[in-house]
Amino acid sequence: MAGILVLAEARRGELRDVSLELITAATELKAKAGGELAVALIDATPERHAARLAAAGVDEVLTVRSPVAQFEPHVSARAVEGLIERLRPTLVLAAHSIDALGFVPAVAATGGRGFLSDVTALGWDDGPVAIRGAYGDKLVAEYDFPGKATTLLLLRAGTFAPAAAGDGGGGARVTEVAIELDGVARTEHGGYREVPAGDVDITKADFLLSIGRGVEEKDNIERFEELARRLGATLSVSRPLVDAGWVPGARQVGQSGKTVKPRVYLALGISGAVQHLAGMRTAETIIAVNTDPEAPIFGVAHYGAVIDMFELADELEQALD
Amino acid sequence: MARDPKHDILFEPIQIGPKTLKNRFYQVPHCIGAGSEKPGFQAYHRGMKAEGGWAACCTEYCSIHPESDDTSRVSARIWDEGDVRNLAAMCDRLHEFGALAGIELWYGGPHAPCMESRATPRGPSQIASDFELNIFPRYMDKDDINTVQQMYVDAALRARDAGFDIIYVYGAHAYLPFQFLSPFYNRRTDEYGGSFENRARFWRESLYKVREAVGDDCAIASRFAVDHLLGSTSIQVGEDGARFVEYCDDLVDLWDLTVGDIAEWGQNAGPSRFFEENHEKPYTGQIKAGNHTNKPVVGVGRITNPDTMVAIIKSGQFDIIGAARPSISDPFLPKKIEEGRLDDIRECIGCNQCISRWEIGGPPMVCTQNATAGEEYRRGWHPEVFHPAANREKSVLVVGAGPAGMECAMVLGKRQMAAVHLIDASREIGGSVNWISQLGHSDGKENLFRGTARGLGEWKRVVNYRQIQLDKLKNVELHTGSRLSADDVLEYGAEIVIVATGCHFATDGMNAATHAPIPGADTSLDWQMTPDEVVLGSKPVGQRVLVLENEAYFMGVSIAQKLAGEGRDVTLVTQAADVADYMHYTLEAPMLHRDLHRLGVDIHTYTMLDRIEPGVCHAYNVWNPAHTHEFEVDTVVLCTARISDDELYRELKADQERLTAEGIEGLYVIGDASAPRMIVDSIFDGHRLAREIDSPNPAMPLPFIRERRLWGDASNEDFRAQLLNTPDVALA
Amino acid sequence: MKVVVPVKQVVVLDDEFELLPDGSGVDPDGIESELNEWDTFSLEAALQLRDAAGDGEVVAITVGDEDAEEGLLAALAKGADRGVRVWHDELQGADALAVARVLAGAVGRESPDLVLCGVQSSDAINSATGIALAGFLSLPHVAVVTGIASDGSALTVERELEGGLVELVRVSLPALLTIQTGINEPRYATLRAIKQARDKPMEVCSPADLGIDSAQLAASIGARRRRLAMPDRGGGAEIIEGSAADVAARIATIVKERMD
Repeated sequence: MAGILVLAEARRGELRDVSLELITAATELKAKAGGELAVALIDATPERHAARLAAAGVDEVLTVRSPVAQFEPHVSARAVEGLIERLRPTLVLAAHSIDALGFVPAVAATGGRGFLSDVTALGWDDGPVAIRGAYGDKLVAEYDFPGKATTLLLLRAGTFAPAAAGDGGGGARVTEVAIELDGVARTEHGGYREVPAGDVDITKADFLLSIGRGVEEKDNIERFEELARRLGATLSVSRPLVDAGWVPGARQVGQSGKTVKPRVYLALGISGAVQHLAGMRTAETIIAVNTDPEAPIFGVAHYGAVIDMFELADELEQALD
Repeated sequence: MARDPKHDILFEPIQIGPKTLKNRFYQVPHCIGAGSEKPGFQAYHRGMKAEGGWAACCTEYCSIHPESDDTSRVSARIWDEGDVRNLAAMCDRLHEFGALAGIELWYGGPHAPCMESRATPRGPSQIASDFELNIFPRYMDKDDINTVQQMYVDAALRARDAGFDIIYVYGAHAYLPFQFLSPFYNRRTDEYGGSFENRARFWRESLYKVREAVGDDCAIASRFAVDHLLGSTSIQVGEDGARFVEYCDDLVDLWDLTVGDIAEWGQNAGPSRFFEENHEKPYTGQIKAGNHTNKPVVGVGRITNPDTMVAIIKSGQFDIIGAARPSISDPFLPKKIEEGRLDDIRECIGCNQCISRWEIGGPPMVCTQNATAGEEYRRGWHPEVFHPAANREKSVLVVGAGPAGMECAMVLGKRQMAAVHLIDASREIGGSVNWISQLGHSDGKENLFRGTARGLGEWKRVVNYRQIQLDKLKNVELHTGSRLSADDVLEYGAEIVIVATGCHFATDGMNAATHAPIPGADTSLDWQMTPDEVVLGSKPVGQRVLVLENEAYFMGVSIAQKLAGEGRDVTLVTQAADVADYMHYTLEAPMLHRDLHRLGVDIHTYTMLDRIEPGVCHAYNVWNPAHTHEFEVDTVVLCTARISDDELYRELKADQERLTAEGIEGLYVIGDASAPRMIVDSIFDGHRLAREIDSPNPAMPLPFIRERRLWGDASNEDFRAQLLNTPDVALA
Repeated sequence: MKVVVPVKQVVVLDDEFELLPDGSGVDPDGIESELNEWDTFSLEAALQLRDAAGDGEVVAITVGDEDAEEGLLAALAKGADRGVRVWHDELQGADALAVARVLAGAVGRESPDLVLCGVQSSDAINSATGIALAGFLSLPHVAVVTGIASDGSALTVERELEGGLVELVRVSLPALLTIQTGINEPRYATLRAIKQARDKPMEVCSPADLGIDSAQLAASIGARRRRLAMPDRGGGAEIIEGSAADVAARIATIVKERMD
């Protein structure tokens, strides 16, 4: 019993980038865990992504053919049971993603296995050690899995850098694994739908471009609205812009506005008053741009840059052109 | 909770002359309507701030002699021993809480009409006041100058007796010392006029004499408008302003800096509609920046944000944060910063309602955000202390989460009622404040003078603050998007029901002038609308708009400003002598009028409509109805009257049997649903009911102390006794 | 239509919370609790399905100590018909899987048509208990549901994916769904309903009553918490140096990584 199994993900024909992040996490731990690093993909046509999954450090890529074209939780669960039986890995790494959350906990539960979700760091102490937030990231907690032959962990997206995808060279074996999956599905796919943009609800946005006093004038807001749109972000603001009547309150982030927890919070020209921080400090990734190096927002940001927001906007716009 | 270390600098003591301020929070002189003749109000209002952590609290302008009498506006006075005794109450109370007491010695000259004393004010030159009703001063010769300077000295000695620590020679707002300094007032040709030193001589001498008399015991302060904002006709900061500070620096322990005068003192007490936080910085900030002083400087600018305060001190703009309105809105601002309770701070919204009541002359001050302002003594209310209600086992349903409903639910929650449910039909709480706060912008362009229209966005703080407080109260639940019928209310399960359902604008032109609808007025037609319809954009607005304003405050003019800012041709009609009369009291009128003129709004006063037809409004002059005028318009906006939305209340009240059967012991109506009023008064109404929810008859306000002469001997206790059976009294 | 709604009374840390010195937990003085926000949505969905069906029962079930009674009462006040609370001190160290094991005992004996769980709890944020429960109960399941349409025996649900994509999924009853916030407008309880909630049936039992012994319980635990600590506030933000162009490039990379 040894080794690490990574569960890659694909959707609508594309390999999801988080798969490569999982590979990085696995390769970092491989030496201590002992054994091989295998990456598996359960998909209708898994072989088309096999080459990319054969990154440096991967010993084997396992392809499992699914009888259905889309993700189905029961099919994935059965497939993973089969893979665990075959490899008996110490550790199974999947993403803390919508798909994985749909089946991995069941696999862990019914098999009496180790399990932890939203993991942000991995270690080894005679067995896997995993770290995740507690009480909404107000605290941090460390877990181990005594007595568990196999532990399944869901890793938070964006915490590990994505590994360089394989390019067809490299020494990984590519193996087709036959697992009986016909008739296993218990739900049926009924189509996809893009969600129409309705009234702005900034609490639902994954990516917020947030502007503050640094925008200086009402007339400048439009430019950042456009930039947000081009970046695929939703525009939000700090309170002074709402106080000044430039922007409706629905866009306000802060104690007296909305509390948001997007994946990315890009704050431009926001100093970080306490009331504003209260509304966004638990965002997964906070990037702050402000000309004042002492701005309080740098205390909660993960990344910061002391430059002018208009200059940054110039550069971002150029890059997008 | 602990203080955020970045605010530490605000709590560093600082020396001013022989005294020490324990921190950097300083309540600058401001009016409240108490003076020396309501000593309880004076002592308890100022004392509340001292209890809240302010290092110093000052009186309002304090007359040094009957020749400086501003009746009907209320100033303090220190004319005699009786005044000393009354103002000593304030000093004692401040000292109890470790704060210094300041007194702003004032001689108004021609700006003070002396309507009570019937004395004759003196001035540097005989020019009538630009502020008052054509009051002329008597020209001061040398004897007059010495006499008046002796008045300052005598007043300073009395002030020291009373216990004051900081004694001002007050020249800002264009009062006497400033009138000597400024060539706008001073046309003298003797040694008190002409050159800079001559014009500064009166003020310098006064400071010198006061300092000689009391300077060993008291800090000598001077309130100085570094820039009169009249350009080269008067004092400019870059010229005589900075020079004066340097010139008198040796005689002053504390500089208290402002801008402007009394004729347009809205430039100093800037309403949020036109001025942002720290708006005086370009002027008052120049004094320290240009190294014109070696003494501590306090300044104002409606500074409400602790981080701004830190930046002001760290950047060297001021040494001490001065505040009037922010201290009224939250007397406990310093304590809350000290305790790290920043979200409990009640921020001033810059509506200037406090000022308006004093301007009217007589009424006690009020505050939209702080319903206890002015009630500290006469009702014994404390903004941070709420006694558990005697009937707190009851549960309460408050229908309507506008200003009145929010305030009432909040105070009931703080008074530990078992359960308070606050329900609003709309998704957002805040009632009409939500759309009102969207008004006040025009076209974003600079005004003709200072004060670009920035809108009423800060008024939304009324909602923000209450939202945060309501969130914190475990016994208060808030539910939005739920419209309750009378049956829903009856079946809700509350023992106390409070209806706060607001009001709507009249749709038929009903108004207070003619007491009748206007023929042809009908806002159900798509070319006629009420103000909320304009703001919410529910109907298209045409190019030519007539706005009829009969409600004397901000609504009509704000609609006109908004539509003119959008490029429409706006005609604004009122039956009154002026549009938005009340805005003269809030000091917003001058800047508003400049904006309306710049935008080309066509204003017709003393004008009423007698008929509205598609495309034309028929108007007449109220003095001579035969003088008529036809306005050709595409859209008509009627801001004529508001009407309570009280159907729910009336329906519930009519069914007494059912109320009893369902266990409802009390049914009340508050705010606009009771009678349409200003936001400040709605909040007060909700607050009062909650404070008195456990009195025998909560619908009827309990008596409050009236500080008046009682025939025969009267003690403080005789006044206290007026607070009969008041449950929530905090008077020490 | 019988719908079971597992609910959780979650912990809310106030601003002044403190860690116990040995890192084993949070000082109880800094703790308040309330019904998990996600559960108000799953409960509302259950109530709507029951009301649409015309008859049926909504049963709220919680694994928690006496504090959890509050959450159960809140559920009853909002309209649930019956409440069940399962507890034993040995559940102190229970993780998502162990809770799911116990829930499976309580839910299983109800033989529901549908089990609606919240996607996650706001304090632990495991996002796993619901699907683990589905595994134990061997029920078809769909996670992160943002819309439900029922024809009585089968459901068409909307599943919210990353990036604003929604997938439609059909599943027959009995089934288990984990419900996302925003799916509906949770009703609130009037004062009367709050008072009357105390009169609704509320059962309290232990894992043993459900046929789960200590050994089974211990074996079901999926993770052991070794340590709880304050997060390392450390050096603050990683400062991106260079020209505006450099900064823009780096920001673009970070964004792309995070947004997947």
